[in-house]
Amino acid sequence: MLFFLSVLQLLYIALLAPLTIGIIRKLEEIVESKKGPSIFQEYYDLRKLFRKETLIPQAASPFFIAAPYLTFSLYLLLTLVLPIITAFPLTFGPVVDFVGGGLIFGAAATIKKIAAIDTRNNYAHLGTSRASAIGAVSEPIILIIFIMFGVITNTNNPYVINNVLQTSTNWYLSLIHWFATFAFFMVLIVETGKLPIESHSLGELGMIDQAMEMEYSGKELALYKWGGYMKHFLLMNVFMNVYAFPYYVPMQPNLNSIFAYMIINYLKILLLVVLFVIIQETFSKYKLFKNFDFVAVALVLAFLAALVFYTTGGNV
Amino acid sequence: MNHLDNAFLLVGFLEIAMVIFMQWEVYIINIIKTFSISSYLIAILFLVVGFINHENFILILAALTALTRGWFIPFYLRKILRIDKWRARETSPLVGISSSILISLLITVVGYLLYSLTLSNYIKSNLGSIPIALMLQGMFLIISRSSTFTQLIGYLVMENAMYMFGYIFPELPFIVEAGIVLDLLGVVMISGAIIRLREDVVQSGTEDYKELKG
Repeated sequence: MLFFLSVLQLLYIALLAPLTIGIIRKLEEIVESKKGPSIFQEYYDLRKLFRKETLIPQAASPFFIAAPYLTFSLYLLLTLVLPIITAFPLTFGPVVDFVGGGLIFGAAATIKKIAAIDTRNNYAHLGTSRASAIGAVSEPIILIIFIMFGVITNTNNPYVINNVLQTSTNWYLSLIHWFATFAFFMVLIVETGKLPIESHSLGELGMIDQAMEMEYSGKELALYKWGGYMKHFLLMNVFMNVYAFPYYVPMQPNLNSIFAYMIINYLKILLLVVLFVIIQETFSKYKLFKNFDFVAVALVLAFLAALVFYTTGGNV
Repeated sequence: MNHLDNAFLLVGFLEIAMVIFMQWEVYIINIIKTFSISSYLIAILFLVVGFINHENFILILAALTALTRGWFIPFYLRKILRIDKWRARETSPLVGISSSILISLLITVVGYLLYSLTLSNYIKSNLGSIPIALMLQGMFLIISRSSTFTQLIGYLVMENAMYMFGYIFPELPFIVEAGIVLDLLGVVMISGAIIRLREDVVQSGTEDYKELKG
């Protein structure tokens, strides 16, 4: 049963991630009074890329080819250990805790950066240096948030965090939880490359993540893109299921409720999609150095959560 | 903690977050609006305290706060701002934006430590660290920015912090609290006049040239 649910969760993430990105793109175009591509465009792109040939830069090492497969498998591993469609651990749940999950995200990002440096492409180097500079501030924020939730729930298990927030209204409404949630939302914007941090245009002025995969083509680019969609979708799920709205996640292994929740979960994600579209269409891009102000504010919010905890002595 | 303490905690930390936002913001008009919202929040807090404790003078204070800090002072500042359009943006903060945000955070932590090491022995509640942190943040807002408007707002933030101390020391007489409100009005009016006078004497100021530095 648990193994079946693990496979179901993996398919849910892997197959619906491109659709979610497609919906975001379509809605953005509609807001801009344009018709926009089909919501299935990302699937068409992936199919096209899987059929194309792979080009490898002369200077690149074998790691260049290995990196997309490694990152993709790390994201697949993450789908098996996070609370997405169930609030109880699945077969691979005990493999890592929350900090371990963060480390897997970090490992995928590091592999991507090393591979980008390996291409010897100027743009890839530029993107890597920008991503590292911002990551140096945004990664500690995630750590502080995890520590704060660990303090709230006395554990570092995402499933327990979900259960505690689902059952305790006091903790759900506490300022500690909301400061940490807001900080996580700001980091979510940074990590998913949304405006005002990153604009996905062709100009190199604002490129961060996009620049790192500049030399990739064919199957490897497809895997990078698919992995990127999955990362995006996973982070959205973690934000909704663990932090912002932890309700209705099934706590018992009951197939009917899990299937029903899969639909509810996607509706929750669609709410977040609408929020993202509003942000994308309202904010303009910051200058590169202003990104640090944004990340600094997120760091402050995460720290304030800790300060509230000390001020109240943990009594919410 | 009782419900009033919870309300104080919520408003207090939102005030701290709003000062951080002021440090982040470069447009003076947004800083003034943020200050206005923060003052209304304090007014709402006093309103709730007044209603629950059945104390009329706190209700009067809440009304005075909303009227002077929430409405009049921001309105007056925006009126001066409309005349001096070139002041509308902080062009040369003395400390960089992201470093000032982080310093402001450190100051909040220092405020907490200062309180827990000294005053917390005499006052039972742990909440007193919030006004202290807010006051130190206001001071830092004054010294980190070169625009007179932001400096004035920094001073007002300090006064707001003083005002919030009223909750920690409930015996504070009405005349003192009301005095702070009237005090503020005087300070803002005089500062407004000084800003206008300085405009007449120093014609364009040096700020115009500073902007070309890039």
